[in-house]
Amino acid sequence: MSVTERIGRLAMGAEYPWLRSVSQMMPIVAVVLVWQLAVDLGLVDRNFLPSFTDTIRALWDITRNGELTINLLVSTYRAVGGLLIGSLLGVMIGMAMATSKRADQFLGPLVATTYSLPKSSLVPLFILWFGIGDVMNMLTVVLACLLPVIVSTYHGVRAVPPVMLWSAQAMNTGPSSMRWRILLPAAMPSILTGVRIALGFCFVLTISAEMIAAKVGIGKLIFFYGESGAYAHMFGGLLAVVVVAYVLDRLLIAFMHYLLRWHDSISASSAHG
Amino acid sequence: MTSIRVEHLNKSYKTRDGDVPALQDINLNVQEGEFVSIVGPSGCGKSTLLYIIGGFITADSGDLRVSGSPIAGPGIDRGVVFQEYALFPWLNVSQNIRYGLEMTGVPREQRDEIVQRLVRTIGLGGFENRFPRELSGGMRQRVAIARTLAYNPKILLLDEPFGALDAQTRETMQDELLRLWLAHRKTVIMVTHDVSEAVYLSERVLVMSKRPGRMVEEFKIDLDRSGDREKMILSEDFNKIRNEVWLAVRRQTGSLQ
Amino acid sequence: MDKAASIARRGISALGGALTYSYPLLLVLAVWEVIAQAGLVRPLFLPTVTQVFEQFWTLLLEGEIVAPLLMSLYRAFAGLALSVAVGVVIGLLMARSRFANWAFDPLVSFGFPAPKIAFVPIFILWFGIDSLSKILLVAFTCVFPMIVATHHGAMAVSRTIIWSAEAMGTSERQMLSRVIFPSSLPYIFAGIRVTLPVALIIAFTTEMIAGGGGVGALLMFAQRFFQTPTVFVYILVMLTTGFILDRLVLRLEAWLMPWLDEQATS
Repeated sequence: MSVTERIGRLAMGAEYPWLRSVSQMMPIVAVVLVWQLAVDLGLVDRNFLPSFTDTIRALWDITRNGELTINLLVSTYRAVGGLLIGSLLGVMIGMAMATSKRADQFLGPLVATTYSLPKSSLVPLFILWFGIGDVMNMLTVVLACLLPVIVSTYHGVRAVPPVMLWSAQAMNTGPSSMRWRILLPAAMPSILTGVRIALGFCFVLTISAEMIAAKVGIGKLIFFYGESGAYAHMFGGLLAVVVVAYVLDRLLIAFMHYLLRWHDSISASSAHG
Repeated sequence: MTSIRVEHLNKSYKTRDGDVPALQDINLNVQEGEFVSIVGPSGCGKSTLLYIIGGFITADSGDLRVSGSPIAGPGIDRGVVFQEYALFPWLNVSQNIRYGLEMTGVPREQRDEIVQRLVRTIGLGGFENRFPRELSGGMRQRVAIARTLAYNPKILLLDEPFGALDAQTRETMQDELLRLWLAHRKTVIMVTHDVSEAVYLSERVLVMSKRPGRMVEEFKIDLDRSGDREKMILSEDFNKIRNEVWLAVRRQTGSLQ
Repeated sequence: MDKAASIARRGISALGGALTYSYPLLLVLAVWEVIAQAGLVRPLFLPTVTQVFEQFWTLLLEGEIVAPLLMSLYRAFAGLALSVAVGVVIGLLMARSRFANWAFDPLVSFGFPAPKIAFVPIFILWFGIDSLSKILLVAFTCVFPMIVATHHGAMAVSRTIIWSAEAMGTSERQMLSRVIFPSSLPYIFAGIRVTLPVALIIAFTTEMIAGGGGVGALLMFAQRFFQTPTVFVYILVMLTTGFILDRLVLRLEAWLMPWLDEQATS
């Protein structure tokens, strides 16, 4: 076996499984190292790019004094709250559209049109209507999360094989049971794909709204640090947000794996896409 | 006592280019406890007829009565087994079998007992908690049959139930079905493209014409099913009838002069 | 005479179809107009539809619609183009080279779910508030879905095709350019179709946060001065732009790749 092959096998965790996680983190470690060196060696101006250690120190600062935690919690609450409400409503609307021709004819055009609207553009309008705060923020998030979930629910329900429905009908399944005991689980893989997309949106919208106008929130915090020139703190907050978003995505994937453990493609699902 | 009576049934499909007739003047009588197969060339409408009897689609004209009364859609008196994709993939084996029992209001205590009994009957003991995706095609069809038998419908409608299985599994499943039918004597209408299968299992085989489908021939099968498979398949009587039916279908496909 | 009649008939049925499709929208507009005209809600919150229309014309004639819109579109498309160029290359590399996949995978894993909009202050710090920072942020945001779409497409190329090509002595570079890239095009296009609205949204949003011209900046301006009709105008401009662009991309895709089944790449 050649050297490269041997390294490849080790990296894949063929012999020591824990090595696999290490090797997966290596590119990130490499980037961090390059980052740190570039700043320490003076290749990059420290005013424009604080070093990794500067960032970590600042991050530790704001974690200790609670500033980071509070703002991160508020933003997470807004984002996840909006995601949950938007997903629930989205499933109900999508299900209605998929099972009732009238609902489809009425809601279909509305959904198709508002699909192209950047929901962040509604923030100024909502500021006029509701002022700055949680309502404005969460409403924007709810609207942004609605659409992908409606669409994925609709398509998921429509794709249920007719013979499955017929079998259920032959066994005395009424319309309400049909929706929630048959169509919903059958469409779940599709629905959850939509929820994952909505998850991506919800943080973006919360932070956008906070950067546009807010009193609290991680978006506001990052913006504030930027304006005040506290760049290390700004980077620290950014790092925290990226990590939180990543963790939530991973949690959703794990949840999906559990919920969809009966599904064919469960082994084929990848980390991204 | 007639279980299913069809008189002058017609069905067309509406397409962009007008009406395409699928079934034409179908007449059919099935007695209680009878095992009847419907065969015919591909696309002749035999599945369509089955779906109409099942109540999943409606005929354009004609009379359809089950146990003397017209039907109002699908019902628990007519159990169906489709070729594929009918099991609920998010439920495991025992949950799938239990579904019909829940929907028909069978008391909870009885449900477990019925499910256990059926699981053993279909030979899937130990697989109760497996999901359909973990089962082979033959096992899935067994669960599908068990699910339908669980709530004891009087009539069984089978739409090419073994069509998606390999030859060996198909033979095993045919024997299973025969055994179950001999034990319970339900009324069975089976649609199949496999003439040998039809002759092997049924008391009567009906041949349909090319589209638009009409009932053109009928064969009474009077074979001794008490022995085992080899005896039947290799017997002269079986092959004689099988060949006759096969020729009848060939005639309908238009491949015979 | 017959030809004119048949054209007229088709036109009327098309119009009829359009009307039945859009009646919910018209209904919403009608309800809006009635509520606003009846004074049930303060004009500050809900101007009438007619007011919004009038304001639209005023702004249009003052040059406050077309020029800013073109600026926003320029930023969105430039950023998208950049992200496509970079994303396709990285996606293809990741599909073919174990090393590239190892190197980029964690970066893509972290980058994909991250809310890239949070990087606005950094980009402003580094690149100013004019178009450059916005183009780069659009590119930064869009590169991730483009990588994923390309990677997905490249991985989906059937192995038998690759084996046949290898058997015929195709070099790695040829493999990439003449086998994998063309086969991935449908997926790349699907990725572009999905990412285009994102590009637009990011361009608008960064303008809203940081200013520097464009429709987003003007929208925020109007809000700060409580010019509600103008706010509505710009929201509708954004809506219409997004809608038209999406339709155009669908047309373009159908024209370029008429054999494609839309389901195949969703």
